[in-house]
Amino acid sequence: MKNTLLVGGSGGQGVMSVGTMLAESAAENGKYATFMPVYGPEQRGGSARCTVIISDDEIMSPLPKKVKTLIAMNEQSYKKFINELEEGGILVMNSSRVTSTVAREDIRIVSLPADDIALETGNIRNANIVMIGAYLASTGAMDPAEFMKSLEHKFKNKPEVIEQNRKALDKGAEIGKQTS
Amino acid sequence: MGKILMKGCEAIAEAAVLGGCRFYAGYPITPQNELPEYMSVRLPEVGGDFVQGESEVASINMVYGAATVGTRAMTSSSSPGIALKSEGISYLSGANLPALIVNVSRGGPGLGTIQPAQSDYLQATKAMGHGGFRMIVFAPYSLQEAVDLTYNAFDYAERDRNPVLILIDGALGSIKELVELPPMKELPTEQAKWQLGNPTGEKRVARMLTSIYPEAGLETLNRTKGEMAVAWGENDVMVEEFLLDDAEYVVVAYGIAARVAKEAITGLREKGVKIGMIRPITLFPFPKGSFRKLDYGKVKAFIDIEMTVPAQMRDDIALEVLDRAPIYEYGRSGGVLLDDDGVLEAIEKVLEGEA
Repeated sequence: MKNTLLVGGSGGQGVMSVGTMLAESAAENGKYATFMPVYGPEQRGGSARCTVIISDDEIMSPLPKKVKTLIAMNEQSYKKFINELEEGGILVMNSSRVTSTVAREDIRIVSLPADDIALETGNIRNANIVMIGAYLASTGAMDPAEFMKSLEHKFKNKPEVIEQNRKALDKGAEIGKQTS
Repeated sequence: MGKILMKGCEAIAEAAVLGGCRFYAGYPITPQNELPEYMSVRLPEVGGDFVQGESEVASINMVYGAATVGTRAMTSSSSPGIALKSEGISYLSGANLPALIVNVSRGGPGLGTIQPAQSDYLQATKAMGHGGFRMIVFAPYSLQEAVDLTYNAFDYAERDRNPVLILIDGALGSIKELVELPPMKELPTEQAKWQLGNPTGEKRVARMLTSIYPEAGLETLNRTKGEMAVAWGENDVMVEEFLLDDAEYVVVAYGIAARVAKEAITGLREKGVKIGMIRPITLFPFPKGSFRKLDYGKVKAFIDIEMTVPAQMRDDIALEVLDRAPIYEYGRSGGVLLDDDGVLEAIEKVLEGEA
């Protein structure tokens, strides 16, 4: 199985870091993974996107025209990338920031207020982790528990960070599961 | 050691260090800054030296200096920066000095764009500088291949006493994927007969390295270098021949373009289309033999796919194919990336006779 994912947001929303974590975690779990960042000339506040491919087989092209899942962290990236989602694909959108009404009827939508959930679970900066939880649970790309193990390893010297991430991931996964 | 996820530029940097690189000089330019950044931390760990030069010209000449004393030296840059280094690269070849040059290429001409492109093929294979010298040019298409080729690059450079070029595009430079790193290479313990410096203090005739030949000698150098390039064609060609046995359509692509093309070819094969690919891994020496052994009674067309417009490798393909089959080309350019659908559609057009 080959899962193609586009994560879009603005600089500072953790788009690149969550894409990297996902690819690293997939690799740690014996899957093939590629992470492809696209940087504009901007930095903080500018647009950021990355493509992550997770596959059971070796990945040949890292440049899909359309992806199976789009994680839209904000309104701007929703508008910019919605047409890169393939027919029957899944849109995971951060309803705290995406204000548009989704016009496409050929996709499945997982909508969750990731900023609010992240704030409730301890740190607004974990909105990206909330979104990943929803992504993993709704697509089955990887077991959220496996991803959590990678986070535990990554933040092994910061137990409070692990706990915040766990809550954020679990909450996202809970919502993702309901729509899977 | 198992496989780890690494970024293209960092994987190449690490492979160079494992392959014996102990000196790096360069000047920043996107999209290859992760390479010098990595080197600035890594080289001091292994007793090497990192210098951020005041310019590209300064940097390539520092590489020249390091190479004269036998230090495995490298530089990296991206397209316009490589152009600035071209004089120094020619001097390296003229003085018979080994070095590793990495071009993580971007769109051009001019300052172009910071986004990836494969627009430096002609520069890399025909004239990396003035004076008519050639270099071995490696064009990996995966990070594992980039690691393996970089790891051995100094062996070629020292064997030939000539610089070696690794050419990848900015997309492969910034992608992260799994690589398995080789062990640290043992560095040569004995000084080669041409190297400057006298670490043992023995009495011997003074040595000189230069790329200026005021009297006789330059023509001899030109002949030797010419013969060396012919020998590369006989001994050092690297190529992947993918599903060519019964191929009626032959895609030719290298680097990132070959990955996108391979995906399309695999899909078309499932539909019964007899299509394959010649993927040059050494762009110079060009894999002429792969074209010569094709059955031209069977091959209906070639499709040259490159992330540049117009295609540049086409000239080398045409020299082998002549008029035995039509050559079509497809590309994106100026920082616009190739993608799966675009490449597949371009190939299908050829199959349907609409190209």
